[in-house]
Amino acid sequence: MPILPAVVGSLFPEVASLPIAALLDASLTLWRGKDVLQFIDGLSTNKVTELKSGQLIRTIFTDSNAKIIDCVTLFHMGEFVVTAGHLPFLEKLLKHTSRRILGQDVSITDITQLNELFIEFDCTNDSADIGSFSSEGEITRGNISGNMSLIVSSKGNGPSNLENFEIFNLWRINNKVPWHGYEITNSFHPFACGLEELVHQQKGCYIGQEILARMHSRGKQGKILSQVDTLTCKPSSITTMGETQSLAIIRC
Amino acid sequence: MDCGTCDSADPVQMVKPEVIDVNLTISEMAKNMLADAFGDDRSHALLVGVLSGGCSGYMYDLQIVESTDQDCQELSVDGFRVLVPKASSHLLDGIEIDYVEKLMGGGFKINNPNADSSCGCGESFS
Repeated sequence: MPILPAVVGSLFPEVASLPIAALLDASLTLWRGKDVLQFIDGLSTNKVTELKSGQLIRTIFTDSNAKIIDCVTLFHMGEFVVTAGHLPFLEKLLKHTSRRILGQDVSITDITQLNELFIEFDCTNDSADIGSFSSEGEITRGNISGNMSLIVSSKGNGPSNLENFEIFNLWRINNKVPWHGYEITNSFHPFACGLEELVHQQKGCYIGQEILARMHSRGKQGKILSQVDTLTCKPSSITTMGETQSLAIIRC
Repeated sequence: MDCGTCDSADPVQMVKPEVIDVNLTISEMAKNMLADAFGDDRSHALLVGVLSGGCSGYMYDLQIVESTDQDCQELSVDGFRVLVPKASSHLLDGIEIDYVEKLMGGGFKINNPNADSSCGCGESFS
């Protein structure tokens, strides 16, 4: 594993030396209304109805073929919910969701332009802190996994001394971490890109659930996310290219 | 995080489907079951709505209610008060409310000409 350069912005004292990369193609939307969690729960893979203020959860909106529409992180802000997703998928996500609101109390505001998103990686988040976030002034830092945190700041108030996104990709390859626009795309279902932990097996129905439940119960999912040798792997299977090692979604 | 709570960000324009004058029918079997459920008190109404969710994206919502805060069309069908939320009228025009007697999966069923597909249990459609 390559040694990552020491760097970066200091949002909070304990993360001062951790690498952070800007997410230039992230989206941020604000969802308001008493039916928001129930609504998102009915259309996505993870169980989100029990989310409380100060907590975050990741979930995936899927289509009827169980292909990913977008993978989002929900921040429960008390009065409302903020979702961080992938900007190129936002239009499709809004089209998918807005026509299903019907008479439910849900309204959505696009606040992408007011904010900047960053990913802090190679960190060691305590397991008890995963799924929580904290805010200091204009900056919110949420622990989305054991080794990644999502940082949202108001425009112009984000961390400085950022890593090149390629360093993040290199780290992802070494740690087999799927990412938006690379592995997490409309071409794959959640299992294929290594997002099994975001598919709740006991929750109720949602679009794509029958297909995912069948794959899970039969233990067959077709393709899986793998770390491959760049030179020997079929180029069309590679999703994140590295010099010697790459990530690929290949048949198992 | 700047949440734009001072209205500095515009709300996303929602798709608002056209409100349609709903026609619906109730099968003989369903009428009998509804008559049993309502008894002599016809002050209550049958609310026929649609929620998001389910395997196919939309789920039927059937309730007996005194009133609702949803903006509804009120119909009189075979002596029953039926409320249909205007927001889901485009999905419910032409439906038949049926009742199926089966040990498993029985109960009220909606036959919906607007549905392209529905899930096996019949509770959701797209």
